[in-house]
Amino acid sequence: MDRRTVLKGLAGAGSLALTGGLSAPAIAQGAAARTLRFVPQANLANFDPIWGTQYVVRNAAAMVWDTLYGIDAQLQPQRQMVESEEVTDDGTTWTFKLRPGLKFHDGEPVLSKDVVASLTRWSARDPMGLMIKALQQELTAVDDRTFKWVLKQPFPKMLYALAKNNSPCGFIMPERIAQTDPFKQITDYVGSGPMKFAKGEWVPGAKAVFEKFADYVPRQEKSSWLAGGKQMQLDRIEWIVMPDPATAAAALQNGEVDWWENPIADLVPVLKKNKNISVDIGDPLGNIGSFRMNHLFAPFNDVRARRAVLMALSQEDYMRAIVGDDTALWKPLPGFFTPDTPLYTEVGGEILKGKRDFDAAKKLLAESGYSGQPVTCLVAQDQPITKAMGDVTADLLKKLGMNVDFVATDWGTVGSRRAQKTPPGQGGWNMFHTWHAGADCINPAPYTAIRANGDKAWFGWPNSPGTEKEVASWFEAKNLDEEKAAIGRLNKAALDDVVYAPTGFFLSYTAWRKNVSGITKGPLPFFWGVSKSA
Amino acid sequence: MLSYILRRIVATLPVMAIVALFVFSLLYIAPGDPAVVIAGDQASPEDVERIRQSLGLDRPFLVQFGSWVWRILHGDLGTSIFTNLPVSAMIAQRLGPTLSLMIVTLLLTVVVAVPLGVVAAWKAGSLIDRVIMGFAVFGFSLPVFVVGYMLAYIFALELEWLPVQGYTPLSSGFWPWLENLILPAIALGCVYIALVARITRAAMLEVLQQDYIRTAKAKGLGQGGILFIHALKNAAVPIVTVIGIGIALLIGGAVVTESVFAIPGLGRLTIDAILRRDYPVIQGIVLLFSFVYVLVNLMIDVVYTLVDPRIRY
Repeated sequence: MDRRTVLKGLAGAGSLALTGGLSAPAIAQGAAARTLRFVPQANLANFDPIWGTQYVVRNAAAMVWDTLYGIDAQLQPQRQMVESEEVTDDGTTWTFKLRPGLKFHDGEPVLSKDVVASLTRWSARDPMGLMIKALQQELTAVDDRTFKWVLKQPFPKMLYALAKNNSPCGFIMPERIAQTDPFKQITDYVGSGPMKFAKGEWVPGAKAVFEKFADYVPRQEKSSWLAGGKQMQLDRIEWIVMPDPATAAAALQNGEVDWWENPIADLVPVLKKNKNISVDIGDPLGNIGSFRMNHLFAPFNDVRARRAVLMALSQEDYMRAIVGDDTALWKPLPGFFTPDTPLYTEVGGEILKGKRDFDAAKKLLAESGYSGQPVTCLVAQDQPITKAMGDVTADLLKKLGMNVDFVATDWGTVGSRRAQKTPPGQGGWNMFHTWHAGADCINPAPYTAIRANGDKAWFGWPNSPGTEKEVASWFEAKNLDEEKAAIGRLNKAALDDVVYAPTGFFLSYTAWRKNVSGITKGPLPFFWGVSKSA
Repeated sequence: MLSYILRRIVATLPVMAIVALFVFSLLYIAPGDPAVVIAGDQASPEDVERIRQSLGLDRPFLVQFGSWVWRILHGDLGTSIFTNLPVSAMIAQRLGPTLSLMIVTLLLTVVVAVPLGVVAAWKAGSLIDRVIMGFAVFGFSLPVFVVGYMLAYIFALELEWLPVQGYTPLSSGFWPWLENLILPAIALGCVYIALVARITRAAMLEVLQQDYIRTAKAKGLGQGGILFIHALKNAAVPIVTVIGIGIALLIGGAVVTESVFAIPGLGRLTIDAILRRDYPVIQGIVLLFSFVYVLVNLMIDVVYTLVDPRIRY
């Protein structure tokens, strides 16, 4: 009997008792109706969304700092702090005007100089920001509410870059804070968004508190993800970190917390049985599972070895290992882009479809020259997703006749070892597992993992000129049709060269008490529009 | 006695220095890199390197160790790599919950385990003895997290008597403070109660066979007086020793208990720091724990002189 079984059984027993309808204990009844207690996906260990790019930091920062533009549920950039923008016919000069009345949490007005400093810091760290910076001629404040970005050549994806929800987002901070070195952490958290960060109540690893900013001026439009009117119905939001999923499940059932961002799949059936709890898909953009092969060293420096693995890989095996038997939570993914988004494509995806052909895969592997050398497979055991994928991969490689050197370790070690470009026997590696947020895979802009520019590419360092050519084509595309065509070609090129191995698309649930309303599906938890009854 | 205590305190300094060197070296050679965690999954190697440089992690071992020791000598435990908060402030934030948990667990243990051990020894071989020792084996065998989940299910979810998780400071009231600690203290105390009860029984059994106990019985002293005044006092040295050793067990057990009951204590801080490779925090906590452990051993030695007048320093 392992720990997971015990917690599942006990949480299940708790649910059976609670489906009879038990009232919350005194501790929960005393909580104010305008205070929401939220269990985030991870610990808020730092609070600088430019310095630290973890999703949990981005999610908290989205309450505290506003953006110039916001991405909406249709994945379109919409004006947020900006009132209007103009671009010259040659596409090189952008002039933006801020909405009137915007204030920081210290009562100071939001001015163009703050925006310039914020964008300067952001563009030093963000991949799209770096692209703009490379084209930048000048970024200047024209007056208090107007600023201008002059480029050497057009950058058609400018508004998307300023609106995107991928970390790091272009959050607007006061100039004095934004002038901090982008590689050093800020210590002052004065924001521009609808909630203030209560620094005095912050216990990293345990609790973070956000209080409503009374002077925030929301837009009048209906909110949609990061766009529209961020109308706060709550006075206070408490993030309570719970490292143990069973504790979080029990606390939600007991009414000690109101919303649990990402319940693990094992506990979802228990929560679904509780009549006081709602459970639904949290982020419709989901995640894409991945294992990356090291293109620098044998056997995966030969495309035939990489393709052999892809020919034998069963995405269903991976997905069931991650999410269990709930078929609503996964789908096969013969490509690299997020399903149900405008640029989704299966062009070139035949290698991942149909019956798995081990004989052909073994033959191709032999042709690549593989002769039984150890394949160093890094597997982080402290991340359930990577652990599950690692077990499936080890089995797959063994079936292909490969000699697996299974390195069971933790995520911190994988994180540093994967950066080693030394041969596998000298501290390097042959493959590691990870996953990408679907929101980062809707197009090539935030999608670091799809880049294949050799030494400059993400870990594994794939070199695929065909892929890179189509990434450039997408950036230059003038309309959606051109974008779709470029992505189709990109998908095929990346699969032909096996930039990485996609293991499938999977979703996860979110769960909340039924006295909470206004929770919307999205790539991050949105708190505007959320309310709570007593 | 005073000079003995002072000598012992001075003797802790080299121990602490060795612990410091050991911990620092171990973390230096351990795999993992906080810069990678900070930079995030999508960061480029160049970004990671710049963060590493800004944190001073690219400097040679001796330079890093020297600057750390220099800060320690000035009473500065450093700054957390992740939170940018002083390590001493982070420890101070977390000290209250852990200290509360340990105190309640210790009190619970002494109040429950010592009488159980005395009674088991008094009724050695009887059904009562077997039941108590059976409980002790049970307490030893069950992992803390299993006990924790069972208690949470029964007393929080089913009976609704106590909360599932969290911590309320003593300043918010005695009952709010205590109600959050009862279940964790029982879960954490199970192993400890079992250990102390067994040691108490063994020590008492030896003492109860001594001539002076027979003499006390012959003189017509009551059973309670014999057990708790004459016998227990003479059996106290091994009991005090095991209670002291048990504090080390509590520190280890607190890591699991604090996670199961979502208590924001030092145990969780330790785990978080290790997983993220937050070196200054790990170093600060290990130094604190080793200091506490040395201090507890000193206290035990002092308590020996109180329970056994034959012991002199």
